[in-house]
Amino acid sequence: MMNGHFLAFSFVDRITALDLGRRIHGHYIIPAGLAEFPVVLVGEAVGQLAAWAAMAALEFNARPVAGLAASVNFSAPVLPGQKLELMASLEKLDNEAVAYHGRAEVDGQTVIELRDCVGPMLPVEEFDDPQSLRSRFALLCQAGATPGAFGGVEPLVLDEVSNEEGRCVRATLHVPVQASFFADHFPRRPVLPGTLLLNSTLELVSTLAAGLPAPSHGRPWVLRDITDVKLRAFTPPGGTLKMEARLSQISTEAAFVNVEARDGKRLVGGARMRLAPENSA
Amino acid sequence: MTNINITKEEIAAVFPKVAEIMASALGCEVEEVKADSSLIEDLGAESIDFLDIVFRLERTFKVKIPRGKIVEAARGDLLAAQFEQGGTVTDAGLARLKSYLSEVPADRFKSPLPVAEIPRLFTVETFCAVVIRQQREAAACLSGQPA
Repeated sequence: MMNGHFLAFSFVDRITALDLGRRIHGHYIIPAGLAEFPVVLVGEAVGQLAAWAAMAALEFNARPVAGLAASVNFSAPVLPGQKLELMASLEKLDNEAVAYHGRAEVDGQTVIELRDCVGPMLPVEEFDDPQSLRSRFALLCQAGATPGAFGGVEPLVLDEVSNEEGRCVRATLHVPVQASFFADHFPRRPVLPGTLLLNSTLELVSTLAAGLPAPSHGRPWVLRDITDVKLRAFTPPGGTLKMEARLSQISTEAAFVNVEARDGKRLVGGARMRLAPENSA
Repeated sequence: MTNINITKEEIAAVFPKVAEIMASALGCEVEEVKADSSLIEDLGAESIDFLDIVFRLERTFKVKIPRGKIVEAARGDLLAAQFEQGGTVTDAGLARLKSYLSEVPADRFKSPLPVAEIPRLFTVETFCAVVIRQQREAAACLSGQPA
């Protein structure tokens, strides 16, 4: 357990209700000592909860890895010390894929909602020890894990390559050779978590947003939702990705930005982000 | 060429929406999506894209597309062992595929054909036909008549 498995990148402390293969509820307490908790990791927590439901229903022979989400809606920021109530409903599950939707709440208020997510189911043994997963699942369903294990993630280095102000920002992402999260994601096959890749694209979007005309009433642009999220390929430790955030549409009420990551010419992942003035719908 | 029992008009009716879905799922311009485009060879689709496309088609057209539906339907009443042996499509299996995927140009069917490479044959029109068949099946279920 000292190697980071179930510690460095695990975001479910306890499973509180389970209707096998259909619905699952759980919670996660964001460690109070963290300086921040990226909102994409709340999405990761919902995805991990759904993954537990899918793996348990298939007796830990297969697990969902990455995939796609039709939309991820952000309603409110989260803070260290808060308890996330997590819930997911599986719409479809077989040996090939799981389709689900889910959300996270803080004090009864939805903070993130994932709709129409699909994860390809791959053989568990390629990624993890099935027996370790069974034991962890039993722990989560009973006493629960001790909260507070997550200590944050090492920042990923983005080297800006070009900035056509207000139109397009490009950068190179250097995936570290070693990072704590690789021990947990995944022990037998370390790959860059899709949510961390998404988090890096948010940095680019933030740079792009700084060069956009101010929205209505002079409020700053904030991320409202992400649609058409797709991770098409794994990125191993030490990989290098070309990242791009490109403005596709803008009005006084919304700005749409397409983001993508490429390994050479191969498209590794992409998404469409909607920015809106702060405190608007 | 169109699928047996599926008219050009039926394909034309669903094609614009299917093309839009393909373009959105594959990150290309809708103008690049032609009826005879091979999803893998021409549009660069990967396995995750097929999952994406199927789920989008299901949501848009309100149909259920069981995974493996195309190969299963092409196989018809052939036993699995008659359709493929040792991971390679048999001659009988290849004949069924050519008949079922009648929209796919004949020169794209290579022999021997590994089962794993069947998806390389799929074109945009293949998925138009899947949608039409599933719509017919759903309508038949509602009316109690065979599709």
